[in-house]
Amino acid sequence: MNLEATSQLSIKGIRDGLLLTLAPQPSFDDAFANLSNEIQNQGDFLRNSRIAVDLGGRIVNTDQIGAMQEVFANNGIALWAILSHREATRSAARDLGLATRLPGSQMDLQGNGVREPVKTHDGEAAADELANAILINETVRSGRSLYFDGHVVIVGDVNPGAEIVADGNVIVWGKLSGLVHAGANGDESATVSALDLSPTQLRIANRITIAPPVDKKRVPVPETACIKDEQIVAEAWNR
Amino acid sequence: MGHGKVITITSGKGGVGKTTVTANLSTALAMAGYKVVAIDADIGLRNLDVVMGLENRIVYDLVDVVEGRCRLNQAMIKDKRLEGLSMIPAAQTRDKNAISPTDMVLVCDQLREEVDYIVIDSPAGIERGFQNALAPADQVIIVTNPEVSAVRDADRIIGMIEAEEKGPGKLIINRYKPDMVARGDMLSIEDIVDILHIDIIGIIPEDEKILISTNRGQPLVMQNGHAKETGVAIRNIANRVKGDEIPFIDLAVKDGFMSRLRGWVTS
Repeated sequence: MNLEATSQLSIKGIRDGLLLTLAPQPSFDDAFANLSNEIQNQGDFLRNSRIAVDLGGRIVNTDQIGAMQEVFANNGIALWAILSHREATRSAARDLGLATRLPGSQMDLQGNGVREPVKTHDGEAAADELANAILINETVRSGRSLYFDGHVVIVGDVNPGAEIVADGNVIVWGKLSGLVHAGANGDESATVSALDLSPTQLRIANRITIAPPVDKKRVPVPETACIKDEQIVAEAWNR
Repeated sequence: MGHGKVITITSGKGGVGKTTVTANLSTALAMAGYKVVAIDADIGLRNLDVVMGLENRIVYDLVDVVEGRCRLNQAMIKDKRLEGLSMIPAAQTRDKNAISPTDMVLVCDQLREEVDYIVIDSPAGIERGFQNALAPADQVIIVTNPEVSAVRDADRIIGMIEAEEKGPGKLIINRYKPDMVARGDMLSIEDIVDILHIDIIGIIPEDEKILISTNRGQPLVMQNGHAKETGVAIRNIANRVKGDEIPFIDLAVKDGFMSRLRGWVTS
C-alpha cells in the first residue's frame, strides 16, 4: 500500500504502532472517504496494526470518529489514539475512550524535538479565536523546538539550545537563554519579553540580533525587545 | 518481576566520568552488602571492564547474551575482590545496532530476579546506544562537569529522559573544584542547578587519584586510606541511591549556599 504517495495522508511507524497524518487541506469528510477507499482497497497491509490518527486542526465529532473507528475495525485495525490541537476533537475522542496524546510526544522516536504543537492553516479561522495563544507551563530544555502560529507564553526558563518560534509575541516568565523568533511570518510589530532576557539569538520578523555580552553579576530586569527604527532594541519593562 | 532496581548512568557529553561513576557506584553498593551487576552498554567502545580491572577475564559479552550464544550467567564476570559484584561487558567488535532497547529490557528483567542493583553505563550521545541504556531504567543518574558544554548536553539529555517518562533523574557533578569556583573561574553548583532544575545526588571533587585508580583497574572506593574525600563522596552517592537521607539540602538559611555545599563535599 503506497500511502506515502498520496498527498492526502502520510503514515509512519512509531513505537506504539502506526501514526497516520491527514493532510491539512481536505475537509474531514473528504479525507475520511479517501482513507476508507485506501483501507478497503489494500487493507491487508495494515491488518492487525495499532494506529493513531493525527487530524490536525479539524473539528471532528464523536460520530465521525466512531465511523472512522468502525472502518478501521472492519479491516482489523485498532484505532487507539486521536491527535489534534482542537480541544473539541480531543474531547470527542476521549468520549470514545481513545487516547489523545502519544507517550513522550514532545520528542520523536530518534529523540529529536518535534515542533509542537504542529498547527495547520486550514481555513477554520472562525473557530480559532481561542487558539491564538498557548501557555507552556514548564522549562524548555536544550534540543526542543516549539512552533506556534500565535503568541507563546512560557512560565519557566528557555534554556540554551532550545528554540521558540511564534508568529505572534513571545513572553517568558523566567530566564530566556535559548533562541527565540517572534513574528516568524514577517510581523514586525511582534515583541519578545522575558524576566531575564538573555537569548543566544533573538529574531523578530526577518531581523536577527544577538544579546550583548552579559556581566555575570548584573541583576536581571524584565525587558521587552521590539523593532524600532529598523533595528531590534530591548527596553526595560517598567510600565 | 524481581525486586532489582535498574540505574542508568548517562550524560550526553563524553568524557565526563560516566564509566568511573558506574564502576565506583557499583563497587560502593557491593561493599554495602548488595548484589550488584554493572552493565557496559557502550557497545564497540567498551571501557567499564578496564576500569573495573576485569578485562582479561572476558569470555562472553552482552551481544552474545542477546544473540543467544551464551546464558546470561556466563557473561556475568564475578569480581574476585568483592563478593556480590559482577559486570557484563560490551562487545568490542560490534556497534550500537547490535542490540535494541527491547533486548536491554529483557536482559534487565532477568537480572532483576538475581541482584539488588543493575547499574548501566550508557554511551555518550543521544542515539541508539543511549536509547538502549535508558529503556530498562528505573532511575536515571546524569553525570555532568562544571563546564558550559557538559551542562548544555546534560540539559538536552534530561529533556529526553523526561519525554520518555523516565524523569526527572538525579544529577552528579563530577570533577568539581571548590577553589576554582571560589575564584569565579568555574560554574558553581548554584549555576548548574539554575539551568538544570533537578536534584543533586552527589558532588565528586576533582581528584587525580581517580585517574590513577582508573588506570590500575581498581575502583577508588575499594582502596583504603587514599583519597578519603572522594571515596566518601562516592559512598554518599551509594547511600542516597539506597534511599538514605544524607543531609545537604536541609542546611538552609544562615550561611551561603556555596559554603554549605563545600562543607558537604569535604564531610
